[in-house]
Formats: sequence, structure tokens, C-alpha cells
Amino acid sequence: MDTDAILLSLKLALWTLVLILPFGVWVAHSLLGLNRSKPWVEAALALPLVLPPTVLGYYLLVGLGGKTFLGIPLVFSFAGILIASLIVNLPFAIQPIQRAFEAINPEIIEAAQVSGLSNWQIFRLIELPLAWRGITSAAVLTFAHTLGEFGVILMVGGAIPGETKTVSIAIYDKVQSFDTSGAGALALLLLGISLIAIALSYGVFGKSVSQQRQRRG
Amino acid sequence: MLKLKISQALPNPLQITLECAAGQLHALVGPSGSGKTSTLRTIAGLSQAKIGKIECNGETWFEANELAGVIQNLSPAQRSCGFLFQQYALFPHLSALENVLIPLQNSAHKVAERKALAQDWLGRMGIAELAHRFPHQLSGGQQQRVALARALARQPKILLLDEPFSAVDAPTRQGLYKTLADLRKDLNIPIVLVTHDLREADLLADRITVIDNGISLQTAAPQVLFQRPRNSRVAELVGISNLFHGIFNAGNLTWDGCDKTFSVADKGKIPANAQVAWVIPQDGLSIHNAPTLTSTPAIAAEISVLGQIAVIQLQIQNSIHKIEWVASASEVKRLNMEVGSQMYIELNGNQIHIMPLRPINDPRRFVDGN
Repeated sequence: MDTDAILLSLKLALWTLVLILPFGVWVAHSLLGLNRSKPWVEAALALPLVLPPTVLGYYLLVGLGGKTFLGIPLVFSFAGILIASLIVNLPFAIQPIQRAFEAINPEIIEAAQVSGLSNWQIFRLIELPLAWRGITSAAVLTFAHTLGEFGVILMVGGAIPGETKTVSIAIYDKVQSFDTSGAGALALLLLGISLIAIALSYGVFGKSVSQQRQRRG
Repeated sequence: MLKLKISQALPNPLQITLECAAGQLHALVGPSGSGKTSTLRTIAGLSQAKIGKIECNGETWFEANELAGVIQNLSPAQRSCGFLFQQYALFPHLSALENVLIPLQNSAHKVAERKALAQDWLGRMGIAELAHRFPHQLSGGQQQRVALARALARQPKILLLDEPFSAVDAPTRQGLYKTLADLRKDLNIPIVLVTHDLREADLLADRITVIDNGISLQTAAPQVLFQRPRNSRVAELVGISNLFHGIFNAGNLTWDGCDKTFSVADKGKIPANAQVAWVIPQDGLSIHNAPTLTSTPAIAAEISVLGQIAVIQLQIQNSIHKIEWVASASEVKRLNMEVGSQMYIELNGNQIHIMPLRPINDPRRFVDGN
């Protein structure tokens, strides 16, 4: 089993989660206040869903290849694939959180306003807890999707062992070199992790909220 | 004291004036979509009128005019309104106690004191034992009491109630009427109640403002409103049954579609030969078996007996009009009245109230009857 690739994929998925979730919450909440520009912003954020990974990968390769804002090229490095992963995951992180915020009854927010809460207090005490399931879904989707991301990572990172060679790229490499049993083991691992992650989001997180309510009630 | 004068043409026309003193309960009544809830939301700062002024206890909450635009506009949080939403709008992820704690979030009290205060409010609403239940574990009436406790926990300067009784069953409603009556005595703040139920407004309110199409048509005590509606639309909206039209000229009212004239007193505000609406209260009607000098012949067209009360529709002869007479069942028996009986109605001209067809700010208020 390719432990390096597994550890790298987990590291990438965790870093992506840590960086994208606060950003996703911020963007999803900001979208509530937009009117005319909203369809355009939403379209831009959903682009990674419909663009072929090679097209996105090509632009990132060009964009991150020369001197970047950090003064050094970022392609073929962990930082490069992390940036690629963040961009690719934007729709997976933002959309569930946005739907969760939109599902909050506006009267509840108004009730918080007339109760004297500031906007920050409303966000912290009312909106964030009510959008919690959307945030959980976003986290699970982002995590599972990052583990499985292939095209963009290959374009931006190549397949440098320990640096940019993630599990899905390792599977591809193994198939290319006719190591089908190795590829099968890794594929099974990804399948298992993805299934567990989604089952957790559907079952345990969903149940825990209602159980918590019951217990506290 | 709450003083409000707002107006706008768009997006929804709104032209409302009202005053409500501390300890008073002021009801806003009118059909659906008439602007009652918009008015309440404007007071709370959840919506904004184009121009006008809202003052509470001498503090200006909102002021805007056409020249200067918005001069003052306090946020809902700054206004100190207790607002009871029609669907309660409880925070679903918080227990009853936590819901009531939310408005105390920014108070100077310590956490333990806040909890005691919130618990006390739940106690005053009679639901102390439900403090740790979540909204989905409470009945409609219990949710409403939590919402009321939450609205009052902040010790607001006014209390705004948006159709508070529409979503609860009759026994719960009776209990809430009593709670509201008790609170009114204790709180001594202006209370504004939105309702489409006139009976409820009559029962609870000191004053009623009738709103139609965003315009406040009349503000008066319930008895005055029912006896002396300002115009025909108010009479219609408050459900006065004996509402008719006629032409008024020099103290004489000629009933439209009926060969009948009454001598009626008015304050001299109505021009000659004006088309008017008129109403007559039940006190102004007397019914006889035999004709008198001034009586009008009529046939008993419909008799509905409801326990001790009978409602009789009397068809005026040679006319399309029917007069509704509410009497005791024994009175009907005394008159030997049955469907088809010939009766004679006397209308007391002194009790007839005449009014313009349209509101005071409508240029077509008086139409020449000629």
C-alpha cells in the first residue's frame, strides 16, 4: 500500500477543509445580501463543477507557473495542489452552506433583530447553529472530493512522490504499470473513506442533532 | 406614548396616523393586505416608510421627509420593541429558556441573574415547567407564551402583536386574552395589536384604527366606531349590517331605491344634494304589528333564532332593501312574527348617522346626487 500517497491525500484534504470552511461560510453568508450580481457570482463559484479538470488545470498551471504572489512558482509543489484543491472545491464548500443559510426563516432573523442582537451576535448565536448541518455537509463533500480529485492535481502537481502524488494519482500510476492489485487496494480504500464520510454526514451528524435536542429537552 | 405618522406611495401605499398612550391597547383592523402588518413592521424598524415620523416616549425612532430624506432611522435593535410574530418565530435550536435569554444577551445583568429573569418571565406566562423544552416539543399556545416572554424580557418601550390569536384554538385564545389583559395592567406601555377579527378588537382594544388599502380611515373607541363610522367603507369594514345609501339635502335624507325621506340632524359639513351613506343602529329601530304615521311597511323575509337571540331580515315593501333587526326570541313571539308576516318598521331619524361615501382625503368624497 502506498502510505506516502495516503498520508499526502489526507494532509491535502485536511488543509483544504481548514482553509475553505471559514471562507465558504463567509462567502455563503455574503451571498444572502447580493441582489443583481448574485447570479454572476454564483455562476463564477460554480464554474469548477462544469469546467473540464484539464481546462481548470491548464489555467492554474499558467497562473501558478511563473512568479506568483509569493514570489516563487507554485506548480509541482504541495502549496500548488492545495491552491488547486481550494479552487476546485469552492462549489462543494459554498453551495450546501448557502442553501442552509437561505433555508432559515427570515422572521427568525427579524426576531433576533428586535431582540436587540447585533449582526455579529445574530450570526454567531442564530445563523451559524441553524446552518450547522449545511456546514457539516460542505465539510464531508469537500473532504471526500479532495481525496478523489485527479485531473487538476495531475495538471498542477504532476506526480511527485511525497509532494504531489495523491492516492488517485497513485491508482492511475499503478494501473499504468499493470499493478492492478495495488490499484485495487487503494481504490477500495478511497471507496471506503468516501462511503464512511457521506454516511457520517447523513446519519451520525443528522441524528446527533436530533438526539441532542431530545436529550436536552 | 407612541406617535406615528407615515406615508409613502410605493412599493405599497401607506398613509397611517396613530397615537397610543402608555397602558393603552390600540388595535389595527382591516382586510388582508390592507397594510396592518406593514405598519407594525415599520414601527419596529423591520421596514421603512418613505416619509414620516415615529416617536416613542419623546425619542425619535424614525424621521424622513421629501426634502432632507432620512434624518433619523434607529435599527430594530435600538428601538426597544417587543414584537410578537404571527408564527412566533422562536429560535428552533434553543430551549424555551434560551429563547427568552436571547433578548437579555446585552443586558448589564450577570449570567445567573439573566437566567433568573428569563425563568421569571416564563413563570409569569404560566410555563415555568417547560423551560427546557425545545419549540418543536411545545404546543401552539405554549410556543406563543414563550414568544411573548421573549418579547417582554427586554422590558421594551412598546409591545407589538401581529395577529397573535389567529393560529391558536378557541380555549387557548381565551387564556391568552386573560394573560394580555393582566399584562396590560402590569406593563403600562403602549400595546399595538394587529387583527382582522373585529370582535377581538372590540373586546380587547381601547381604540381601533381601521386600515384599508394602506390608509388609516378612522381611529376611535370601539363603541364610537360601530355607531358612528366616518364613511361608508368604514361601516362596511366593521361589518355594520344596516348600511344604505341616499341623498342628503337640507336636513332631509331620501333613501335610494325607496320612496322614503327622513329628517336627520347633521353638523352642516355635508353639501346640498350630496350622495351619502347612512347607518342606523339597532336602538333606532322599532317594529310593530300595526301601521303608525311614520312607519314603513315590511315583510319578515327570514327569521333565524339563535338561542335567546333572533335575527330577522325585514324586506321593505316596494324596494330592494332589507333591514336586519336583532331582537330577543320572546319579542318575536310577542309580535307573532313568522316568515311572511306583515310588519311595520319605524326608523328614528335622530339615530340615523350619515356619512360621506369615501374617505376624507378622497377628492370624490361627496358626489352630487343630482
